[in-house]
Order: sequence, then C-alpha cells, then structure tokens
Amino acid sequence: MVEPLPQVTALLPVLLLAFTGLALLLVDTLSPDTRSNTSMAVVSALGALAALAATVWFVASGTGSGDTGGAILLFADAIKVDTMGLFFTAIFASVTSLVVVAAHDYFHDHPNPATFYSLTLFAATGMSLLAVANSLAVVFVALEMVSLPSYVLVAFLKQNRGSVEAGLKYFLVGALSSAIFLFGISLVYAATGSLMLGDVAGVLGDIAAGTDGLDSRSGIAGLGIVMILGGVAFKTASVPFHFWAPEAYEGAPAPVSAFLSSASKAAGFVIAFRVFTEAFPVGASLSADINWVLAFGILAAVTMTLGNFAAAVQEEVKRMLAYSSIGHAGYALIGVAALTGADGGAAANGAVMGAAMAHLLVYGFMNTGAFLFVAMAERWGVGRTFEDYAGLAKRAPVASTAMAVFMFSLAGLPPFAGFFSKYFLFMGAIDNGFLWLAAVGAVNSVISLYYYSRVVKALFIDDPASPTTLDTIDVRPTALYAAVVFAAVATVLLLPGFGPVIETAEAAASALF
Amino acid sequence: MTAVASSIPPEWYLLLAAAVFCVGLFGVLTRRDALYFLMSVELMMNAANINFVAFALYYGDLTGQVFALFVIALAAAEVAIGIGIILVLYRNFGVTDVTVPTEMRW
Repeated sequence: MVEPLPQVTALLPVLLLAFTGLALLLVDTLSPDTRSNTSMAVVSALGALAALAATVWFVASGTGSGDTGGAILLFADAIKVDTMGLFFTAIFASVTSLVVVAAHDYFHDHPNPATFYSLTLFAATGMSLLAVANSLAVVFVALEMVSLPSYVLVAFLKQNRGSVEAGLKYFLVGALSSAIFLFGISLVYAATGSLMLGDVAGVLGDIAAGTDGLDSRSGIAGLGIVMILGGVAFKTASVPFHFWAPEAYEGAPAPVSAFLSSASKAAGFVIAFRVFTEAFPVGASLSADINWVLAFGILAAVTMTLGNFAAAVQEEVKRMLAYSSIGHAGYALIGVAALTGADGGAAANGAVMGAAMAHLLVYGFMNTGAFLFVAMAERWGVGRTFEDYAGLAKRAPVASTAMAVFMFSLAGLPPFAGFFSKYFLFMGAIDNGFLWLAAVGAVNSVISLYYYSRVVKALFIDDPASPTTLDTIDVRPTALYAAVVFAAVATVLLLPGFGPVIETAEAAASALF
Repeated sequence: MTAVASSIPPEWYLLLAAAVFCVGLFGVLTRRDALYFLMSVELMMNAANINFVAFALYYGDLTGQVFALFVIALAAAEVAIGIGIILVLYRNFGVTDVTVPTEMRW
C-alpha cells in the first residue's frame, strides 16, 4: 500500500513553473556575469517539461477525477484541482516549453534573456493557477499574473518601435478590460455576497427561483456576468475585444506571439469554461433571464467570421496568423456557446465543451508551431509577406514541411488532428441543437483553407523573386528547428492519440455540469 | 455595522461605484495621453473596490474587504508595468500620446 501524497502536491505543476522562474531570476540577479543564454534556456525548458510530466502523470493517475474521490480542494476551497485544470495545465506547459526552446535562438544576441525566460514562466504559472481557481478572487489575481508579464513580453524588444507600440496597445486594451472584468466581479459579489464559484451558483439559483425577494438582483448579477464575459473576450482575443490581437501579435517578438496566441488564449478559455459553468450554471442563468449562452453564440459566430475574412486579405504571414487565431477563438467559443440548459443535457454539454478543450490542445501545438516558423523566418531575415516566403521549401525543406502540416491542420483538413477536433466540436454543437453555429463554423473553415494554402503555395510552388533573395539564409537555428519539428510531430501524433485526448477532455468537462 | 453606514441603502453605493466607473471609462475613451489613461483605469478599479467594501459591510463578511486589498496591490503592480511601457514609448517616439505610434495599421 503506497502512502497517498499530501493534498498540496496536486499543485506540483504550478509550483514547478513558479520556482523555475524564480530560480532563473535569482541566479541572474546574484551573478549577472555568469549569465549564459543556453543554460537558462535549458533550465526553463526542463522546468516546463517537468511541469508537463507531472501534469500528465496526474491525469494518468486520475488525480482530482471522479474515480479517485473527486476534485482536490485546497486553501479554504479557493483552489480546486480537477482533470480540467490539469488538462489546461498540460496545454500551458507544452506551449511554454516549445516557446522557451525557440527563444534560445531568437534572443541569441539579446543582452538580458533571463528576463524573457522568467517572465514567460511567471505567465505560465499564472495560467496554470487560473486553471485550478475556484474563487473569483483567485481568478482575478491569476489573470493579472498572466497579463502583467505578457505586457512586458510584447514590448520586450524595447529598442524596436513595432514591439513597443504593440506592447502599448496590448497594455491599453488589457488594463481597460481587466478593470471591466473586476467591476463585473464586484457586481456579482454585490448580487450574491460571495466570490466562491459554488456559492455564487447557489445564490444565483435562489435568484432564479425568486426566493426572499432576491429576484430584483438578477439585473445586477446579469450586468456583472456581461462584464466578466468582456474580460474573457479580451483574453481569448474575441469580438468585441479582439482588435489588440493583430497589432500585438505582429509587433511582438514571434515566440511571444506564439505564447500569447496559444497559451494565453487557452487561459482565457479556462476562465470561460470554469466560471461560466460553475458560478453561472446554464439552467439557473436562463431562468434568471441571463442568457449568456446566446451572448457567447453571437460572439462565436461574429468572431470566427471576422477573423477568417480579415485573415484572407492580409499580405503579411504573421498578421494573417494573428487573424486566424481570432478565427480559432471563435471555433473554441462554440464550447461555451452550444450549451443547453435542458434537464439531462449534462452529457451533451460535456461532449461539446470537451471537444473545445481538445481543439485548444491541438491548436496549442499547431499554432505555436506556425508562429515559431515565422520566428525562424524573422531570424533568417527573409521578410514578412507571402511573397517573401516564396521558394523557402528549397532552402529549408524540413521546416517548410512542418509549416505545411500546421497550415493544413489549422485549416482542418483530414487527416490532420485539427480536422478531428473541429469535427467533434461541430458534431457536439449539432447534437445540442446549434446547427447554425456548426454551419457558420464549417463555412469559415472552407474560407480559411484559402489563406492557409497561400502559405503552402508560396513555400513549395512559387519561385523566389530573384535567385539571390534566399541567400540570406545562412544560419541554422538548431533550437528553433527542434521546436518547430517537435510541434509538427506532436500535431501528427495527436492523430492516433486523439482518442485518449478527447475521452479525457469529455470526462473532465462533464464533471463540471 | 455603524448607524450611519447601515442607514445608507446599498443601492447608493452601487450608484456611486457606477458613477466613478463611468468617469474612469470616459477618461479612457477621450484622453490621448497615456498617463491620463493610467489614472482613469485606476478610477475604474477603485469603483469596483467601493462595491467590494460596501457589500462586505452589507453582508457582514470580510471577503470583499480583503479582496479590495488584493485589488489595490494589483493596481499598483499594473501601474508599475504601465509606467515602464510608457517610458519606452517616450524613448522611442518622444511622446506619451497613445495615438502617435502607428507603425502598424490599426
């Protein structure tokens, strides 16, 4: 009989990320002369991989799942470690390890790379804390823990006007939306008298039932919920708070764009998935006339349409990827938009939300990989537009093949993993009676094929503008190559591995309803 | 609960907080100087703090008050980051006007 571990070890992934970040900062502060980019990149990658390994181990051993005694509650119930939290932590840790490995080559001549690694790890810590939050207070603190390092990371190249401008715009929209999010929390507190997700849901049920004259509070609670939705829209880069994304992703260093558009976006979705199911349950919200499901539905449809149409007219690859990431936020929003408040809808709700979680995992690899390919192109100095990428496959066949895998997977073509996650997502929406959302999503996927294939066409079919344009590619950034290739391998391996992933995700999501 | 505080209906606190929030929002939307933007965001966060403290009193629990302390600390951290970004903005563009940097299409 093995002695069970103390409960607090359930936070091991979060602690690993936090202590790796702190250790890097400490060593760099104590002995700045011995700073070595390579050793810091290795340490941060090992920290992120250790967090990933711990998370996978926890998921495999059923920590916090219904089979082993349910979610683990810590710190007066403010933290709740369950399978969904661990699933998202796995996404954050994977993206973080890819990004820090790639950053090794991207920031090879930066005077102070330690700040980059520790800020990235601190943001990842905040994300994994966000994934296990069980109180609106923890949600807000963790959200700021993600946002504050992200602002700095976007403006990391402080001599570069584009990076600074992107950081400024990200900060302006971010500070505004976190103030709105906070005011929403304060209104929910005013209406319900609690910040714990479960207690808020209890009072919301009373409001819906109209007990004790509480029915007059549904207006305040509703306004609060709408404002919280605004905060989620910012973090996930969805309409109406999406307009920072193209600027921030284009101006930021490409590894940071990869980190923000994959991990930070998933962090926004973990707020949506947890807060909106646990604090504002669908049934109670609908009977209190707070129809956030419809609000998310409209946002999902508008977001994916706007993202895909805007992506189709871009000339720069990085900006196209930024708009495509807005489009993918729209797809993942289906996970909270296609929910039904009907009795016995728990299984169907779990299926569609689980599909959205699986999509975010697949998206984490393919989108990070695509942005890291852009990072490699920036490192080579080949330019930013589609034309500049022409003929790259002749000089860099491996990386170009990886990019083609990312593009086709993002477009959702079979037989890539992106196809299966979208398929499950749209089928889940149809099963719940949201045929219109699935239809909008399918039409958008077809549009997206156009601009994704433009990249592949440029890489493999087009000829370079002049025979000498690609001669600038004289560096072989090994770590960047490794990260891109690893992301491509993961995208391909998620194809046979999609069964366990979707099963875990659906079980995790079903536990919320 | 003191006599004065309990004699004020909770709606008034909500109205006060909403008014402060709207002043902040107005400042965010109309001011072009990044420093005014920071002050306006600070107003919006403190509007939320009014709600937290007032309703902590109303419900007789301390959660709201404690969270207000957290918010004050986070707001300070956010200003520190914001000032840093405005500083590099000034170094690169020579202004603190948020409408001047247009390297990229908006």
